[in-house]
Amino acid sequence: MNLKSRLTGLLREGEIYGSQGLFQESLQKYREARQLIQETSGIKNRDSLLAVLSRKINTFEEAAQKVDQTPAEAQMSAQQQDLVKKLFAYSPDQDPDSIALEGALALAKFGQFKRALAEFREMLSKESLRLQAAKNIIRCHMAMSDGQEAVVEYGQWMQSGLFSRRQLEHLRAFLHNLVEKKGIDATLPQPSEDTPTAEPTVAADEIDEEEILDISSIVIHFDSGPYSGKQLELDVSFQTGNVISLLISSHEKEIIDNLTVGVKLENLQFFSPIAIFRGSGVISAKNKIDAGPKQGDYSLDIKIIGAE
Amino acid sequence: MAVFNVRNREIECKIVYYGPGRCGKTTNLEHIYRSFKKQVSGQMVSIDTEGDRTLFFDFLPMGVGKVMGCDVRLQLYTVPGQVKYSSTRRLVLKGADGIVFVADSLAVRREKNMLSLKDLHNNLKSYSSSVFKVPLVMQYNKRDLEAQGIPLMSVAQMEKDLNSQLKVPAFEASALTGRGVGLTLKECLKRTLKSLQKELRLSE
Repeated sequence: MNLKSRLTGLLREGEIYGSQGLFQESLQKYREARQLIQETSGIKNRDSLLAVLSRKINTFEEAAQKVDQTPAEAQMSAQQQDLVKKLFAYSPDQDPDSIALEGALALAKFGQFKRALAEFREMLSKESLRLQAAKNIIRCHMAMSDGQEAVVEYGQWMQSGLFSRRQLEHLRAFLHNLVEKKGIDATLPQPSEDTPTAEPTVAADEIDEEEILDISSIVIHFDSGPYSGKQLELDVSFQTGNVISLLISSHEKEIIDNLTVGVKLENLQFFSPIAIFRGSGVISAKNKIDAGPKQGDYSLDIKIIGAE
Repeated sequence: MAVFNVRNREIECKIVYYGPGRCGKTTNLEHIYRSFKKQVSGQMVSIDTEGDRTLFFDFLPMGVGKVMGCDVRLQLYTVPGQVKYSSTRRLVLKGADGIVFVADSLAVRREKNMLSLKDLHNNLKSYSSSVFKVPLVMQYNKRDLEAQGIPLMSVAQMEKDLNSQLKVPAFEASALTGRGVGLTLKECLKRTLKSLQKELRLSE
């Protein structure tokens, strides 16, 4: 290929990639073209070609930088936020409270924290949503790297008389865990006899002892024993709190024999819709399925005892 | 996840266009919006940012008429392709009934295609699904650029890279001119409805 056609090809590619917004690929081609000209003597309009290429390179470097600097989170318009609430609020119940909660959660998941915060704060007036709303307010502050604001808001809740003593204790523990993880220096007051509190009710005072995300699948890594170094990936068929149920095919008989009740599994990887995390668990039940399409397979229950 | 409204005999399903950044997912939807006016049942919503890059998602609602005696309503979405929008991609993918994987035919984007397919695989896994289970169609986009002398991967190469294990239907396309766009969607819809029908039968 002669110089002219090589150069034309590189410039054409640079132009097309640039027009498609593929700035890095475009830069690469223009830089190759510049190098080719610099290494070749006797090109008539060498200087003007190099000047044009320098301008192109500058332009696309700036464009690429602009894209890189676009923040991962951006603010949507109010109409766009309404659409997100409509499209991404997955509520199994049709009651307005659940829909409102799911809508605010959808906003938070899309990084629209200011409006999500405003909506969660409105929910504080509803007893059935109060605790969940408060925890999501804390989560929003943390996601906005505004842990101190969460501490201030917790302080306000302490004086509000909205929460029962048990709820305040739960919120304190929840917040304490998060501020500690983030290395935020904060003193969180304990609810005392003088703290104004709401009368506890059964429905509003229900608190999950363990807050475990919905887990869709897990990977068991075998660190010792006959399967050392191997791993087994399984889908979660059912979850209640921190106990997950898995189905293991009868074909995995040797592995099943090694997974007995009481065995501690140290190296587990959990996949949830919003995060992948590691942890440990104990096999709490193992049953052979006697009937139905999965007859002969095994159902294994693992109690999650630690998550990182 | 598809929504069945038994009383009104309506099915609402979600098809997600997935693929690396700048591969033409939004252009696919724009073409559908322009060319299938009769079926489009609302405005196309695009939330983009610097340089027309999708930041959150594109959304296009459609009605495709009666299938098996039910009104089928489609919701088409695109995900943001850039690597840094990983969590948004996962959110938009949630509940997808069918997926169109838009691969960029440019030779310089070969690795990005493979990384994006791997990302799809991982994200589906987090929802207890799999690229092998979900109704999936491949689209090899930007084939028109060959005429402009731009190096493209051969279809055989793309099949080997992306579809040798999946073996799903694949279409050559140019979202810019519209070539292959309708065919891709039609095949994805066909596979999606077939899968939903199977699911329904199982749940009966």
